[in-house]
Amino acid sequence: MTAPTVPVGHTGPTGPLDGNADQLGSSVRCATEGSAQRPDPRDCPPIIKLDKVSVTLGQYRALEEVSIRIPEKSQTVIIGPNGAGKSTLVQTILGFNPYRGRITFRPGPPRFGYVPQRLDYDRHMPLTVTEFLALSLTNWPLWLGVSSKVKTRVLSGLEEVRALELASKPLGALSGGETQRVMLAAALMSKPEVLVLDEPATGVDINGEQLMCELLDGFKADYTIVMVSHDLPTAKAHSDWVVCLNRRVVAQGPPDRVFTPKILAATFGLHQGLELMPDPGPRAASPAPASGPEAGRGPEGS
Amino acid sequence: MDFLASIYDLLGLLYEPNFMRRSAVAMALLSLSTSAAGVMVVNRRLAFFPDAVGHSVFAGVAIALLLGLNLQFTVLGLCVLIGLSITFLARHSHLASDTIIGLVFSGAVALGLALVSREPQATAGLSRFFLGDVLTVDDAQIVALAVLAALSFVFLFFLTNRLTIGCVIPMAQKNAWPDYLFGAYLALVVAVGVQAVGVLLVTALLIAPAATGRTLSVSLKGMFWVALAVGALAGQLGLWASFQPAVNASAGATVVLTNVAIFSLAVAFRRLFHLR
Repeated sequence: MTAPTVPVGHTGPTGPLDGNADQLGSSVRCATEGSAQRPDPRDCPPIIKLDKVSVTLGQYRALEEVSIRIPEKSQTVIIGPNGAGKSTLVQTILGFNPYRGRITFRPGPPRFGYVPQRLDYDRHMPLTVTEFLALSLTNWPLWLGVSSKVKTRVLSGLEEVRALELASKPLGALSGGETQRVMLAAALMSKPEVLVLDEPATGVDINGEQLMCELLDGFKADYTIVMVSHDLPTAKAHSDWVVCLNRRVVAQGPPDRVFTPKILAATFGLHQGLELMPDPGPRAASPAPASGPEAGRGPEGS
Repeated sequence: MDFLASIYDLLGLLYEPNFMRRSAVAMALLSLSTSAAGVMVVNRRLAFFPDAVGHSVFAGVAIALLLGLNLQFTVLGLCVLIGLSITFLARHSHLASDTIIGLVFSGAVALGLALVSREPQATAGLSRFFLGDVLTVDDAQIVALAVLAALSFVFLFFLTNRLTIGCVIPMAQKNAWPDYLFGAYLALVVAVGVQAVGVLLVTALLIAPAATGRTLSVSLKGMFWVALAVGALAGQLGLWASFQPAVNASAGATVVLTNVAIFSLAVAFRRLFHLR
């Protein structure tokens, strides 16, 4: 039983990244140096790379030729307006959607921990938080009880997300923020290499959002984090790699290069009123349609 | 069958007419299966699934009579086929599962009626499935019910967690086979249950104990065991009451009424003590 952690499906051609020994050496350095001083994500080879990935859901073309890279041990935030395909993008990486194009993992498909945007389930179903978390740890049926060994792991997982007091509560009685922390605990208990969070702040009050941000900052050193967000200040404050998406990739790069009025306007439309930082200069002043793997040290676009 | 004889002797303390003892064993075994399966039926919101499968027995009886097939196996086979069809359509159609179940339900009843209208002699075989008869079970049927109860616990031992996580995060359940296995298993429980209490009441045997368990519990473990206890209690109490002169009613109907009465008490208890 691995759910709610989801393995990546093989709905498209996958394989190791094209790379050389230098790139692999660089990745090892990134991993070992992570906790002391975080390396520049631009120097880290991607753990996940999408090359001209297109997704069609029914008659709707949700993603068009998306080419992005997720640097290892980075906190990558995917931003974009409603309907931009942000959730579709992460679900495609997780293997839920068929696609055209190429998704490659280095060195192979990683273990994913996934926190979905919202749970559409019967909130009156009798299921305690401990029972819910035990589901992903054991096949021993819940109606025979949760063993003390599993319970210990569950409590440890809850402690990690500062939610120990929720252990005996019914899952359906939790607030939005509490539910997200329990889902985060479930994702972490599967010991993922890549943690994927889809709008973790949706339906969460300001305190819950702050707590979630603190937790994620604490996990930065240990995991590659991919987060979908529509909250630009949070995204800017907590990311070290940003992908601007509007069915196509508008730009990608470090936040100080991507959060510019011109790129945000190109991503969200002309009514985007947020000006998060002054335009850093001509290098990052426009969502340059760079076709190479890296557009200098500015944002990448496609 | 010496084992069964000693059980019948023990039950003689409660149930006076001899055939009642056999009925008591049959009801106990059936309620174990239906109550346990009912927990998943209620949590997966499949309350009308048993109705759709149950009504397909009419078509099964008609097909068996028309083609000269074994009645039991034809009914069981058709029920399982209908169960798998509902699961397939629910997974692959853009329609909601209640719409799918409604369509299959109507189709199964219409097929039964169409076949019976061509072969009027088939109606004679239908009444048994319409109302069921727990009072006329024989030892072979009791053995079949015991096998079904054992199968239920084996099935739920291996699949409870998979099916439960599918209730909370459908996306996390990537494999389809647990759903199909559950559809086939549930159809089997319904097909056997129909013969004891009839098409009209089999849904209640699945739903009522689980609903009571859900009313009184905050955990899945609690819901499961309360459902089993309520199913067993209501089965025996209803059977016993049905033979009391003051009641003197159909055994299946009395069992279901007892189940509904216990559920009502549970709801009152929940409101009285402000349980979540």
